[in-house]
Amino acid sequence: MHIPDGLIATGQPTSITIAIAMWIVSMAFLAWSWKKAKTTYKRGITALLAITSAFVFAAQMINFPITFGTSGHLVGGTFLAVLLGPYAAMLSMTIVLLMQAFFFADGGILAFGMNVFNMAVIGGLSFFLIKLFTKDPTCNHRRFISSVFVASWLSVIFGALLAALEVSPAFAGGFIVTVPSMLFYYAMIGLGEGTVTALLISSIQRMQPAIMSGLKMLKDGTRL
Amino acid sequence: MNKKPIVVAAIIVFLAFFIPFASNNPDGLERVVETFEVTKQAPLWNGIMSDYAIASIGDSYVSTLLAGVAGTFMVLIAGTLLAIALAPQKTKSKK
Repeated sequence: MHIPDGLIATGQPTSITIAIAMWIVSMAFLAWSWKKAKTTYKRGITALLAITSAFVFAAQMINFPITFGTSGHLVGGTFLAVLLGPYAAMLSMTIVLLMQAFFFADGGILAFGMNVFNMAVIGGLSFFLIKLFTKDPTCNHRRFISSVFVASWLSVIFGALLAALEVSPAFAGGFIVTVPSMLFYYAMIGLGEGTVTALLISSIQRMQPAIMSGLKMLKDGTRL
Repeated sequence: MNKKPIVVAAIIVFLAFFIPFASNNPDGLERVVETFEVTKQAPLWNGIMSDYAIASIGDSYVSTLLAGVAGTFMVLIAGTLLAIALAPQKTKSKK
């Protein structure tokens, strides 16, 4: 889902405007999450933040095949959000994206704002969806894990929808062609995302429930 | 937390194991770009290890694995710095 600079048509004002606008929007979200992450900071998150970011980087390298000669990989936004809380998750994913763009040319520089929004910001915001789904006090483990599945699927769908709109100026057919085709592939890739995220969260919750800061924010009603 | 090295080792084992199975097919976005035959612009920046490979290493498995391990450590360092920057100033954790 990483948008390369090659898809930003430098000759087209719309394309450039979208890229710059997404930079500004993403930076605003990062500034907000920075402030909030500082206030909701929990001791002992240092190692967790570093390790989960590193894991997400590694996991994103492994593309799994879906149908029609196409592949996808875990994005990990919802995974980070459940473990770290929404704000630290946005910052953590931004670090992954920054390293990918700078060292590996995976995702562009002009397109960085778009990629941060589509993956880091949306991933972090998916936390609030889980919070909404699990608000009911009778919420059990199965419901929590199903919420994780749905939220991660939706985070991929929303990310893909936005990516489709953002790159549409580069396509002769515009968003009429990009939106349906992107949603078609990412609806499937999202199932992989949902399954992997739900399995990971479920097993971490069983083995190391104490480390899930994000989960604690959900449970103990930390003011967000 | 003494588990950090173990988890990092586990991430490297994860990469070493899964890299050969990783699909080389285009991802969803790349597929859409190919389908509609969009001509891409030249990239602004080619990265240092573009396509998760170290150019000087011929063997693609070794090259991708080393690039992946290098990336994992760089994210680890950047993540640690971020977490330190987020920590409140006065609570100097005493260990």
